[in-house]
Amino acid sequence: MARQQPIELFMPPNMLKAKVGGGLGGVDMAAMKRAEGALDTLKSEFGDWIAEDVKVLIAARARYAKTPDEASRGALMRAAHDIKGQAATFNFPLIARVAGSLSRLIGELPESQPLSLSLVDGHVNAIQVIHRQGIQDTNDKMAQTLCAELDARVEETLKPKK
Amino acid sequence: MSGYRFDRLKVLVVDDNAHMRKLVITILQAFGVTQIHEADSGQRAWTVLRESNPDVLVLDWVMEGMSGIELVQMIRTSPQTPNPFVPVIMLTGHTHIDHVRQARDAGVNEFIAKPVSVKTMMSRLVAVIEHPRPYVRTSAYFGPCRRRRGADEYRGPERRAESKQQAAE
Repeated sequence: MARQQPIELFMPPNMLKAKVGGGLGGVDMAAMKRAEGALDTLKSEFGDWIAEDVKVLIAARARYAKTPDEASRGALMRAAHDIKGQAATFNFPLIARVAGSLSRLIGELPESQPLSLSLVDGHVNAIQVIHRQGIQDTNDKMAQTLCAELDARVEETLKPKK
Repeated sequence: MSGYRFDRLKVLVVDDNAHMRKLVITILQAFGVTQIHEADSGQRAWTVLRESNPDVLVLDWVMEGMSGIELVQMIRTSPQTPNPFVPVIMLTGHTHIDHVRQARDAGVNEFIAKPVSVKTMMSRLVAVIEHPRPYVRTSAYFGPCRRRRGADEYRGPERRAESKQQAAE
């Protein structure tokens, strides 16, 4: 039986509420509109931002290919994971999907097993193609086929060997 | 009009990606937040945190060196922390439930699963203002209560695996 341990449960004073007050009228729609407008202005930069993230991924891939160790694998994982989150925010959902597949491959494959460079390259190349062609439509047939193929190959790689 | 005085809020934005910081800061500024600090790593964030003592942190999870999770653990438990109760909103590309549990167990208050949107940013900000969670101190954990509801009703022994293990030692 578990030993009785003291559990201290307490509510700190809500200093944040005291500081900013408000809340009576629900969400501030004017602030939301301002923020949506500001984001729309930023959207013209999203393509360049993703281009820089893709460069980081390509550099991480090159580093892993040259020295496939824990550090380079970690850098590749971070680059893929960053793109997964950022591409979705920057309106490149298919790039996010491919980067998510690459993150899954690196994250779920036991560290004792080396990454297949051809499969890593498949992902990196797909991300470059989708970016170069500016594909932002999730219904794009070519990109969908590419994503499905990569998903299947990752699934196959991660499947326990009999 | 919500009447929140976001201009009184001091926010620290931590992300190793400059573009993501710019995006988050743009949204916060549009909300009316004027006091915004930023850091591009967990280590730098720890320094800025101690210098500026922000009211809220918006924090990325995956960063080289000190991760967002490690930073939250320091904020909650280090004797040098300027405020162990500071609300942390974690930005993450992780969406698996195990990752959410891991972050919650480290002491994260709210999550924003990427893609980041204006709506989710506002809702998480309002959540930390309007619905703060009680805090729990046990032998193995300090931070926001990990149960969303009913935690204040529980008066029994610790049942979490790590707590039981410590009790047995």
